[in-house]
Amino acid sequence: MPFASPLALLGLLFVPAVVAMYLLRLRRSETIVPSTLLWQRLAADVEANAPWQRLRRSLLFLIQLLLVVILALLAARPFIERPAGLARDIVLIVDTSASMGATDVAPDRLGAARAAALDALKDLPAGGKVSVIEAGRTARIVAAGTSDLARVRQAIDAIRPSASRGDLGDALALAQQLAIQSGDAEVLVATDAALAVPPTTRVYAPIRVLRVGDPKGSRNQAIVALAVRTAPSGVAHSVFVSVANLDLESATRRVEIWGDDRLLETRTITIDAQQRADVIVDDIGTATDPVGVVEVRLVAADSTASGRPDLLATDDRAWAIVPPERDRNILLVGEGDPYLETALTYLPHTNLFGLKPADYPGGAVRTNGTEWDLIIFEGTLPDTLPPTPILAIAPPKTSGLGEVMGTLTGPGIGTLGTDEPVLRYVDLSTTHIATAQKLTLPAWARTVIPGPKGAPLLYAGIRAGLPAAVLAFEPRESDLPLQVAFPILMANLTGELLGGSGVPAAAVKPGDPVALTVPTGATGLHVARPDGSAIDLAPGTAGGLSVTFTQTDELGVYTATPIFPPSASASASDRATPSPNPTPTANPSAGASGPPGGVGADPTAPIRFAVDLFDVDESAIAPGPNRVLEDLGRARPAPGASGATTAATDPAVGRPAARDELWIPIVLVVLVGLCVEWTLYHRDAVLRGRRGLTGRLRRPAAGTGP
Amino acid sequence: MTMTNDGASSPTTPIPSSNGGRPAFLPSELDPTVFDEAFLRQLERLLLLLRAPVRGGLKGGRRSVKRGQSVEFADYREYALGDDLRQLDWNVLARLEKLFVKLFIEEEDVTITILLDGSASMATGTPDKLQFAKRAAAALGYIGLASEDKVAISVLGGRTARRRTALRGSGRVFRLLADLSSIVPAGGPTDLVASARHAAAQLSGRGVVILISDLLDPAADRVIRELASTRSELIVLHVLSPQELDPPLEGDLRLVDAETGEGVDVTADLATIDAYRDRLVAWKDGFASLAARRQASYVDLSSDVPLNELIFAELRRRRVLG
Repeated sequence: MPFASPLALLGLLFVPAVVAMYLLRLRRSETIVPSTLLWQRLAADVEANAPWQRLRRSLLFLIQLLLVVILALLAARPFIERPAGLARDIVLIVDTSASMGATDVAPDRLGAARAAALDALKDLPAGGKVSVIEAGRTARIVAAGTSDLARVRQAIDAIRPSASRGDLGDALALAQQLAIQSGDAEVLVATDAALAVPPTTRVYAPIRVLRVGDPKGSRNQAIVALAVRTAPSGVAHSVFVSVANLDLESATRRVEIWGDDRLLETRTITIDAQQRADVIVDDIGTATDPVGVVEVRLVAADSTASGRPDLLATDDRAWAIVPPERDRNILLVGEGDPYLETALTYLPHTNLFGLKPADYPGGAVRTNGTEWDLIIFEGTLPDTLPPTPILAIAPPKTSGLGEVMGTLTGPGIGTLGTDEPVLRYVDLSTTHIATAQKLTLPAWARTVIPGPKGAPLLYAGIRAGLPAAVLAFEPRESDLPLQVAFPILMANLTGELLGGSGVPAAAVKPGDPVALTVPTGATGLHVARPDGSAIDLAPGTAGGLSVTFTQTDELGVYTATPIFPPSASASASDRATPSPNPTPTANPSAGASGPPGGVGADPTAPIRFAVDLFDVDESAIAPGPNRVLEDLGRARPAPGASGATTAATDPAVGRPAARDELWIPIVLVVLVGLCVEWTLYHRDAVLRGRRGLTGRLRRPAAGTGP
Repeated sequence: MTMTNDGASSPTTPIPSSNGGRPAFLPSELDPTVFDEAFLRQLERLLLLLRAPVRGGLKGGRRSVKRGQSVEFADYREYALGDDLRQLDWNVLARLEKLFVKLFIEEEDVTITILLDGSASMATGTPDKLQFAKRAAAALGYIGLASEDKVAISVLGGRTARRRTALRGSGRVFRLLADLSSIVPAGGPTDLVASARHAAAQLSGRGVVILISDLLDPAADRVIRELASTRSELIVLHVLSPQELDPPLEGDLRLVDAETGEGVDVTADLATIDAYRDRLVAWKDGFASLAARRQASYVDLSSDVPLNELIFAELRRRRVLG
């Protein structure tokens, strides 16, 4: 039998020590007795009649010797070799996407994936190394090239599910980097293969999928959309909920609408298989009974039924922030554009004012001393840009908002980004533009509507701490005002510039970074997460106006409260503008946001935003086929070979065998031996105690006799 | 009872009490550790409590075969010339017209010889076996003296038996106690058989022999045979200490013989102790059956048996005392 640590067999040298101790122990203490007559006869009887009784007394000695031998063997780590079923270097990818929280297997798919991974690693050859990658929204290495399986087990056990879509492609790319360094590598992917987006990354190593999840596990309904809009009356709000049934059978669920932890409304819906159902609930929150946060819960239709209504609970709850009720004052500086004016008047809680360029006094202060929430310059620009959110339409000259390089005639609209919040629900596919300014994208902005040859037609961002946007063309120079996209575009654009008051509060995807504005005078933001934990953020530079918060992995409502120095907090409150709903929202676009509630809002008011899954593809939890991933792996081709492996190129040749160490059964034997030794050694004492007790119990009974 | 040195007895009067410690009248020869005031009171009480007649208190099981002049009828014999005509049974003559004389039990002058095993093994145990033996000998000797029997103490030690002068009369009880007090354990090994043989040779006439010993001798059965082969009634009081009856031993030990110094290696676990006890019982049963076969009395005792229990329970139950 081979040993992993043969030097430990030197422990057998303790055997003579045990023998010596036993012999020394045999020195007997002398006791004077009246006569040894009967003892001699007794000893003679033992000698004559029961030679094995001597052996019984030696049994303890034999057991101790045996224990020493076994412990020496244990320290030498004997093992049994068998052919290894895995390559020498393993890259283990554990899928932690939201679908891995499905409970069609116990305890859930991620728990089953951890168990499957640990079971697969038993086939690792001796000296094999393991790297572990956690594949969530982004891939993260949690153990790198280690042969310490205890560390690997620890890393695997520490993996937790995420509430976001997973990116196996990112994980496979990372695995490729790790595998390419090895001549004998293999990639194991523990996943349910319920891929929202099938990866396409190729890996030069075999891929084996450790699939988890019931092949028939598709029973899931999910909240895929939630929006809160101000009702046309401007007083209450309407809640729009969209629920998708990803199962192959119809399902009946109950939708609960909660406002600030109070149940406001319930609706029971029946959804056909692979269909959606929408629920609209009006009159949520009023001026006298305002609601700040709307939560939607998807629960079982029958409240008395036990058990889970579907397999994935993550997508059964959603949150939305109710936009604040505050009138915004917008100044339109230009010669007048009826289309633009009409679109702007549609915005709720908005007061529109107009000025000719010649009448514009400059700055951002109104005649009554308050500040404009937004100034729109159409076809004109002042020499000094006001310190307020600005929308510049067809700027005539280069300014701090950007460089004007010329004009474009009939510019086409480039490929629009699917995640651009300004373009949500905006369809520009039939829009034609006659002329536009040729602009250069400044460093502070992002392209919203790309134009020809890199010239943006609309860009937006944060300039000098304030939201700003530039539209390259006047609406009347296009057919956009004639399309339904125009008022939606203007609502989205002004919503971003104004801090989201007039648009549905858009939820953040799990894992997406959120740019949060730090109010003037505040030293940072105290961000409370849904799980109760909190993080303090400070701008990177002193006096910085925004911070980026990245720990949005949990679903729920996040609250960012400005941190003011003790002397500044009082003056910050003085500057606060009273408003019916002093709870502004952050604008969680990718890397950009506006000031909380716009200029003039209460700077001490906390900023709230919601993180929701809203991912139909991720909520479709039916496990997929292994080959989608396994086909991405392939063996590294030998140089010049046609593809057939030979003994020289086959990495399995020369691969060490797997070792099964025998320490567990040996430890069990040791434990049993210790128990036997204890029993033998203390047998006399136990029996004496029992006899003494029995004797004491009998004596009172004997004394009661006549 | 007042004791005088000339052996004459007086009507019984209580032994004067003391205020603790040694009574003033007690001779200095008495060992106060053996014969203390409490023991002496026990002796006093012993006599009062014995319901059997003082005469013939230690009955034994054997009767004298001599025909004597007592009032106890024994048998008939044909008249021979010279017989006492007063012993003729006139009723038999009238019926059978033959001359027969009555025979009566001879009231012998019984000597009670108490053989005390003085070997080194007797000086062990808690309570000390020799101390117990002395007290038992004192009690039995006292009964004998009170019964007007002669009482002699003989100590077995080495290869001999040292016999003290026989005493008669209850007035000699202090002398008896003094003799017992002077007994010390033998210095070296004791050959019990040789000592018993020597003691047997010192016996004259019939009597009662009381052997008080632990019989811890390889040939102890021969001791009983030797003593039983005499014309005396044999009573064996086999005394062992509680530690010998139930050894409080544990572990790996080397047991050293108090007399011979020989050693035996023993692992005193429960199995060994149980085997020892079985062996002990078989050994004592051997003595009991041997004594029964030799028409001797055998009493096995522990040295922690109280004196009154010894006399009134053990010895009466075994019919050693009448």
